[in-house]
Amino acid sequence: MKQKDLHSDQKYIDALVHNDTRLITEIYEKFAPKVIGYIKKNSGDEARAQDIIQEVLVVIYKQAKEKGFGLTCPFDAYFFLLCKRKWINQIHKTSNKGVTINEEVVSKDDGSLDLMEETALFEAKNDLFKAMFDQLGNACKELLKLTFTVKSMEEVAKQLGQSYGYVRKKKSLCIGKLTELVRSSPRFEYIKKML
Amino acid sequence: MTPEEKYLLFDSYCNDILSQEERQKFSDLLMSDAELKEEFDTYTALHDYLDATFNTSTEEQELKNTLDRVSDTYFKTNKQEHKTKVIKLPNWAYAAAACVAILLGTYFFYPTNPSYADFAAIPQLSLTQRSAEQGTIKEAEQAFNQQNYKAAEILLSTLLHTDKANSELQFYYGLSLLEQNKYNEASDIFMELKNGSSIFKYRAMWFEALNLLKQKKFEACKAVLQAIPKEAEDYEQAQQLLDEL
Repeated sequence: MKQKDLHSDQKYIDALVHNDTRLITEIYEKFAPKVIGYIKKNSGDEARAQDIIQEVLVVIYKQAKEKGFGLTCPFDAYFFLLCKRKWINQIHKTSNKGVTINEEVVSKDDGSLDLMEETALFEAKNDLFKAMFDQLGNACKELLKLTFTVKSMEEVAKQLGQSYGYVRKKKSLCIGKLTELVRSSPRFEYIKKML
Repeated sequence: MTPEEKYLLFDSYCNDILSQEERQKFSDLLMSDAELKEEFDTYTALHDYLDATFNTSTEEQELKNTLDRVSDTYFKTNKQEHKTKVIKLPNWAYAAAACVAILLGTYFFYPTNPSYADFAAIPQLSLTQRSAEQGTIKEAEQAFNQQNYKAAEILLSTLLHTDKANSELQFYYGLSLLEQNKYNEASDIFMELKNGSSIFKYRAMWFEALNLLKQKKFEACKAVLQAIPKEAEDYEQAQQLLDEL
């Protein structure tokens, strides 16, 4: 995170991390109408808006959880831009077009475009990692699941009836394989700056 | 350095088990080799990603549950507010509205296909008293019973790793997949149980039928239902669903 002061709307990010129903309700009440209005005007409906809003909130949560994301601009513009971007991407998915965002709603220098880009990049990175994880063989998938869920490697080794050294080596080779898959993907160039 | 040595070194760094000296040597190496640095950055990013993915899945599911609840309430209220707007209509419009109402009535009373939600009663999972391996088992049980099926899937799959033939674990693993709409994976599990001889044989058939119902594959669903024998626990439900189909 950049060394800037946090915006008071950081409370909404914290609310997602702490699963605070009251503030999450406030997010919907304050920020959903603009997104719904936009999606309805652009060949969507309320049900689609409901999905988009939920997906965006989950991405924000994941980023906050994994990266300790801090909000340095108002939540309003940042959130709206993310929803808008996601919606346009969905519409264009079949035709594979890129999305450009030149948004009149964003006030010039509040940094929301940058933050939106950061979150979009985070999501692209996670999507790529997930897609490559799915390509791994079952043995690697299971071993990684196990080593990251069961914290102690000794315990994992015991469960698998293998030695500690063997399991550690296997685990590092599986992440190594994943590293190679990720780096050879054409999408890697885009997400590289996030690493 | 062979790839094996390289990845093991990365892993040691991620898990913070290098000595001060080794750490320094490794940092120097990264400084002088941009390619290695990029590989290392990718490796650590993947390490963080896997850690976050497998360790916050329960919390993430809890957040999703909250979002489902809050957004359902929000969108319902929102709709109702729209509906309560009073619009004055000319008299002829009432006649038109009446016609529409009759048409809609005919439409809605026309028998429709039964749905998954009408029939699916997910049983509770109760495993704990039976094993010394309390930790994961207890977590799996809790996750499942709290309808946190994503976490339950991971935990049950971990348990199945060491207890492959446990039909109860398999059955509940299948249910966790089904509840997440992972139809094909769920189907694999249910079919395996169906072809086996455990006490979950017929229950698996019933849930495979529900799996197909959920996908609106009505004909395939009927075929599975017809194969459920009289002695099965779910026989009556199966017959009822067959009637409705």
